[in-house]
Amino acid sequence: MTERRLAWALVAPALIVTAAVALFPLGWTVWESLHQHDLRMPWLGRPFVGLDNYVEIVSDGRFWGAMLHTVFFTAVSVAVELGLGLFFALALNRVFRGRGMVRAAVLIPWSIPTVVAALLWRFLFDAQAGIANAVLVGLGFLDEPVVWLVRAATAWVPVILADVWKTTPFVALLLLAGLQNIDPALYEAAAVDGATAWRQLWNVTLPLLRPALAVALIFRTLDAFRIFDLIYVLTGGGPGTATEPLALYTFNALFSNLRFGYGAALSVIIFLVTFLLALLYLKGLGSLTEEER
Amino acid sequence: MRFPALLALSSLVLACGGSDDAGTLLRISGSAVGAEGEILTRQIARYQAKSPGVRVVIQSTPDDASQRHQLYVQWLNARVGTPDVLQLDVVWTPEFAAAGWILPLDRYSPPRRDSFPASLEANAWQGRLYAVPWFMDVGMLYWRTDLLARPPATLDELAAGARRAASGSGFVWQGARYEGLVTVFLEVLGGYGGKILGPGHEVLVDSPEGVRALTWLRDLIRQGISPQEVLTWHEEETRFAFQNGQAVFLRNWPYAAPLLAGPGSRVAGRFSVAPMPAAPGGAPTAALGGGQLAINAHSRFPDAAWRLIAYLTAPEQMLERAEAVGQYPARRSVWSSPRLAAALQVPPDQVLRIVESAAARPATPIWTELSDVLQIWLHRSLAGQAGPEAALREAAREMERVIERSGLRKGIP
Repeated sequence: MTERRLAWALVAPALIVTAAVALFPLGWTVWESLHQHDLRMPWLGRPFVGLDNYVEIVSDGRFWGAMLHTVFFTAVSVAVELGLGLFFALALNRVFRGRGMVRAAVLIPWSIPTVVAALLWRFLFDAQAGIANAVLVGLGFLDEPVVWLVRAATAWVPVILADVWKTTPFVALLLLAGLQNIDPALYEAAAVDGATAWRQLWNVTLPLLRPALAVALIFRTLDAFRIFDLIYVLTGGGPGTATEPLALYTFNALFSNLRFGYGAALSVIIFLVTFLLALLYLKGLGSLTEEER
Repeated sequence: MRFPALLALSSLVLACGGSDDAGTLLRISGSAVGAEGEILTRQIARYQAKSPGVRVVIQSTPDDASQRHQLYVQWLNARVGTPDVLQLDVVWTPEFAAAGWILPLDRYSPPRRDSFPASLEANAWQGRLYAVPWFMDVGMLYWRTDLLARPPATLDELAAGARRAASGSGFVWQGARYEGLVTVFLEVLGGYGGKILGPGHEVLVDSPEGVRALTWLRDLIRQGISPQEVLTWHEEETRFAFQNGQAVFLRNWPYAAPLLAGPGSRVAGRFSVAPMPAAPGGAPTAALGGGQLAINAHSRFPDAAWRLIAYLTAPEQMLERAEAVGQYPARRSVWSSPRLAAALQVPPDQVLRIVESAAARPATPIWTELSDVLQIWLHRSLAGQAGPEAALREAAREMERVIERSGLRKGIP
């Protein structure tokens, strides 16, 4: 047995497992997306229809709505989470009494299951009994209680707040780890050179934090792009379909309407978009590390 | 060595699957939560006692109708033989029948003459009966006898009465984006003389009657006659609002009556039921709901399954269900029983009027898909995202596409 063959033999189990759990389902989904397979209309059988499902998707207003909602949600929530996360990371990086406790406490929202968190926020934003209305009316910001979930614009408020509340700790911890890798000597040198705290943040902290920021950005963007459970529980995608993201639309097509072919095509589209995003980010991150070398 | 072992194994399997009644194991699936579960368990126990060799097991499924539907479709599509007996929602029968998932029951001579026409219509597909009505649900108007002298005779009277007496939420109904919203719309639509679908799958929902019905519902919210919250409410939230004395009118199913009359209700003794009123030119319409029993087409014991269905849908068992959980009997003969009058919280003759005016939702195998489209557009319009006319036009266009895709107009299946 040549060395090359031996190498192949050794990686074969890993390759086979990868193929079985990743490539096969992916290939099957792509194949399924080329069929009309509608469990609700079993008399139609499962004919091969080529790209018909994809044509139907791009001519469907609900799909483009879902795409828009997903992009909007991703952009807003990730931007806020990175900003707030950085703020908390800087605060937690200071030395103060009880720092260990605070660092652990910050993680609590992250550790609560999403479905529970979503229910919690739905109760907070309940029109009649919710705390949000009570506080806002009590402080004079609102004249009368708002029925948050029946208007498109207001329904997004609890959704985005809940996501920010839940995932900012994750971002903060990632960035905190990045901060702790920065050599304190650099700050001492900057201080000796007369740099203000603001100047230190811009010229020392942020450039050296770029890899950690990039990792946080990738994780959060890809996660936010596939948002499902939070919205499923909080708004159900409503009112109408005004807060319905791509993953929820796909879920509805697959599991409520049992349109397996159409749902598979939607899944393929989500996969392609996230894959593309990941590639772009990786490329950006790659050039970043090159630079540092 | 290997061959005889296989033979022994297969004969063992055959022995277990004997086709006589001895060793018959039936699985039944349906509402089995709380009081409904207790009464079903009790009736099944009695049935087992009188049928030696038959064992009946309740196979649990989610209580939420659409979740149960998804599960049924996945099982039946995979040709699984259990559950042998399925409790179906009134709108599923044509779908399951067209798919060949449930058996036609005519050879067992089901109790046609003792059933209500709307029930029979809903449970038939291409002239054959596929499910036996078990209990009936009808949409009705609960009204406060202490605030009004008589129930409203027209839709306008209903709106005016709710506005005048509004003590918070005048008229509460199910407005969340789900099947319940479509049943509410169906009743108002019927009140204006409109229809959702014609007999040949013609989409009629975007008619002037449809626009008037949706406009009426939207104006309830716009004018504060119904609270905006109804757009997030299902049955229970509306019942709570009415039960706490916050509303003058409630549109709901019969299940609410015993709860509204029970301890802890602020409106006990201060409410009654009436048919949903109509506009001039329309007829009072009650959406038909309820449970039916059908036989899985791949069941190993169809005859035994039928005997179980016949037992559960016999007058005595229906009466017992009415007494235990307040569900309306699906057999006409039971309605004259004095025991029923004692069991219901409202006079049976009043209710019978509503039951007689019940209208089935369109009997089509693709109802759930059409309803899904309608739910979205009704909700969009009620939430102010689209005018009633535009919303129904779009809904009709999308429903048209679903019908086109189904091939039903070309006579399939």
